[in-house]
This record gives sequence, C-alpha cells and structure tokens, in this order.
Amino acid sequence: MSEDLRTRVQDLIDTMINPAVAGHGGFVELVDVQDNRVYLQMGGGCQGCGAADVTLKSGIERLIKEEIPEVAEVLDTTDHASGTNPYYTAGKA
Amino acid sequence: MDRLLLLLPTTTYRTQAFLDAACTLGVDVVCASEKPSTLEAQAPDHLLTLDFTDPDASAARVAAFAGRRPLSAVVGVDDLTTVAAAAIAERLGLRSSATAAVVAAHDKYRMRQCLAATGVPIPRFRRIALKDDPFLAARGVAFPCVLKPLALSASRGVIRANTVDQFVAAFRRIATLLRRDDVEISGDAAQFLLAEEYLPGLEVALEGLLVGGMLHTLALFDKPDPLEGPFFEETIYVTPSRLPAGVQESISRVAAAGCAALGLAEGPVHAELRVNDGGPWVLEIAARSIGGLCSRTLRFGTGMSLEEIILRHALGWPIASLARERRPAGVMMLPIPRAGRLRSVRGTEAAGAVPGVEEVAITAHPGQELVPLPEGWQYLGFIFARADTPDAVEAALRDAHARLVFELD
Repeated sequence: MSEDLRTRVQDLIDTMINPAVAGHGGFVELVDVQDNRVYLQMGGGCQGCGAADVTLKSGIERLIKEEIPEVAEVLDTTDHASGTNPYYTAGKA
Repeated sequence: MDRLLLLLPTTTYRTQAFLDAACTLGVDVVCASEKPSTLEAQAPDHLLTLDFTDPDASAARVAAFAGRRPLSAVVGVDDLTTVAAAAIAERLGLRSSATAAVVAAHDKYRMRQCLAATGVPIPRFRRIALKDDPFLAARGVAFPCVLKPLALSASRGVIRANTVDQFVAAFRRIATLLRRDDVEISGDAAQFLLAEEYLPGLEVALEGLLVGGMLHTLALFDKPDPLEGPFFEETIYVTPSRLPAGVQESISRVAAAGCAALGLAEGPVHAELRVNDGGPWVLEIAARSIGGLCSRTLRFGTGMSLEEIILRHALGWPIASLARERRPAGVMMLPIPRAGRLRSVRGTEAAGAVPGVEEVAITAHPGQELVPLPEGWQYLGFIFARADTPDAVEAALRDAHARLVFELD
C-alpha cells in the first residue's frame, strides 16, 4: 500500500509539481511516505523562499490530496534556514 | 465550510503564522499574492494573483472569484495588503474597517491630520514635497525633528535631525531610499515625506483588536532600548509592560481614541506610542498585526495564537478569551551590525541554551546582502524568550544576543 502510494506521489511530483516550481528554480523531493503521511523536501529556489508555505499548503498539498485522496497529510521537512538562493526573500513591508 | 482569503505578499514574514492558524481552524484557504504562484494554473481555486497597489482592481477580481467560490472572510497580513483587504471586504460585505479608515491609517500624513483634528496627542508635523528645496523646508521645522516616509514601516527611512545640515542630509537620504527598486510605494507616498517634532520619552507598542469599534488591548510591549536616533532600529519588545497600571491604562485610552479618530472599527491594530511627562503620544497606528515573527511571543486563552484570534474575528467566530497568558514574554529583532553579505552565524546553540530562551530564528539566509537602517528592509532574525518576570525576559534576550556572532563579507 505504502509503496503504491509512494509511486503515485512521486509520479505527481514528477509530472505536475516539479515542472511548475522549476519556473522559480525550485524542486521538490519525496523523502518518505508513512501511514498516509507524505514527507517532502523543497530545494533550489523553494528552500527558504518567502512563498514556500503558500506553494506547499495551497499548491502542493492540495494537488496531492485531490489526486490521491488517501493522503492524510503533507509535511515539509526542509531546512529553510539553510536555503542559499530563495526565490523570494522575506522583508519588512 | 467557511472559506478564507489571505492576502500574503511573497516577501512577508507572516505567511506561516497565518497559514498555521487557518489550518488549526480547519477553514478552506485561498491565498492571494502580488506575483503568480508557480502552481496557480494547477490550483486556481486556491491561488490568486492580485495587484495589492490597486485595491479597486483587487476587489473586482475577488468579487468575480467569490461569485463561484463564496468567501466568508478576507485578511491582509501586513502593511502591503491592508488597504486591498479592506476594499475587498467592503465590496463583498465582509467584516472589516471601512476602506477610507484603513487608507488614512496607511498614510502617516493623513493619519496625523485625522488624529490632530480630534485632539489625539501627536507630535507637531509637516508634510514636505520631495521636489522642494530641503534648505528652505528646514526653515519651517523646529529641532530636533524626525523625518520619515509616509508609507514605510518598521522604522525604515526614519531619521532624526538636530540641525539644518542633518535635516538636509536626511531629506536627501529618504528621497534616494524612496527611489529604490525594493520600495513599493505610489501616489503621495512617493512624492512627500513627513517631518515631525522629536519627542523624548519611553516607547511602547500596543497590540490590539477592534471589535465593533471597541479597542481590546491584547498586549502592551515595552521597548527597553532607547530610541533616540539618528535611526530608530527596533530591537527588544517585552510584555507585560513594566509601566505603572495607570500609565498603561492611559496608553490604551489614547490608542483607542486614535483608532476612533481614524474610523477604524474592526480587526487588528498595531500602535506605537511615546510616553513622557506629557502622557502618551501616538506615533503610529497601523490597521494590521505586529510584524516580522514577533507574534510568536503572544499566546492567548488556552494557547491560541494572535493569528487565530485575528482569523476568528474576521470569520465572526467566537473567541473564548482575549487575555494573554500571564507569563512574561519577549522578542529581540536582531539588529544588522553593518552592511555586508552574510557568510555565517555562529553561537545559535549557545544562544538557545540561555535559560528562558525558547527559540533563536535566523531568517537571513547565507549569502544574503544585509543592509542596515535606515535603508534596510530585512531582519537578521529573532530571539524569543519567556521567564518569570519582564526583567528576566529582557536579560535572557540580551544574554542570548551576546552569544551570537555574525560573520559578514
């Protein structure tokens, strides 16, 4: 079950998510799938990006849950503080 | 299920806190930013692009969206979005202050005009056109004074001048700052600056929530580091305030009068005041919550975050308690020591080990170009602490900061 889920999530990342986030120099890697929880890592322009949470919650998580309803949660394991080239950098308004 | 529209600039520090709160509430979230998300085409019901500098266009776009995906609330998370959020809320009949009131709060000159008209204590002020001769403009002000842009926040571009020469230098420095690519202003804010009387005294920040025109003070922060210029870098915030209860009450009263003068009636308020022998004086009232990551200092009732309170209010949901937890808390916004490129930060483990320190969050990334005030627009990071007394919180923050080493190229 978990292996099948993993394959389907990986396929979604390869075909829908990574081609899109590549536009900002970013990429997403599947770290693990456990108990219907998907663990991801963001890299490139996504790592440390000011908009990474929006991309994850309203984009990636939604897409995964819509396409694969048995996924309960999508968790970001990225060390965003170590990102050296974020696409957007947070600042004072 | 209630649907919430969050206005989240791509560069705001506030995204995670608001998304976490929305997740806790279990509402359907739509995120709007000023630049397209990479996944907008794949998730058009949850990702929008709005021009926050054009509130009417934003309101029209969201009205069309809401025609097929009705919205229960709209919340702008920082200064860049407050006016657009109010315009959208007004158009859709959602809970918010009137757009005109939020517009007035967003423009430091209009704000002062409103406050002065109703007798709210503020420093004497003058608006000066950037095309004017600064030498002539300096003749019309009393010294010391403070020059500031009409629309930036977090002390950006705020400079004290004690003499005509300093006034002219500050005037030119602000004019140059306002032409920078990373400064998103338009209209009067791009044409004028404000010169106001420098007021000696202590400075405090009030975090509040307006409900039906009534201001509820959620937290009052002391700012123990002297803010005397020439620049006004904010560092330590500690709550509860150590000022006498009577003074704290008068601060809340003056802030409430300021909100009423502006016509603000609903939603979060962040106010900055000076306090001296003449009582509290309003420096700023913003129709938004506290900036940066500073809201992590605040917990309410049984652990509710500031953002959850703001979202609950916007949604019209009940809020069990607006009482902040009793334990003193504080944050230090890490000052940028000098201009340069951040190579590394050492000592975060030692800083985090200081008793009372809860978190050391370095938000600048390795390789980032750091620019100090008055031009700077980013935080190096934040230290958060909780302890038995406000003094202990302040001491923990200072101790932790002393253990950090920032290496810049």
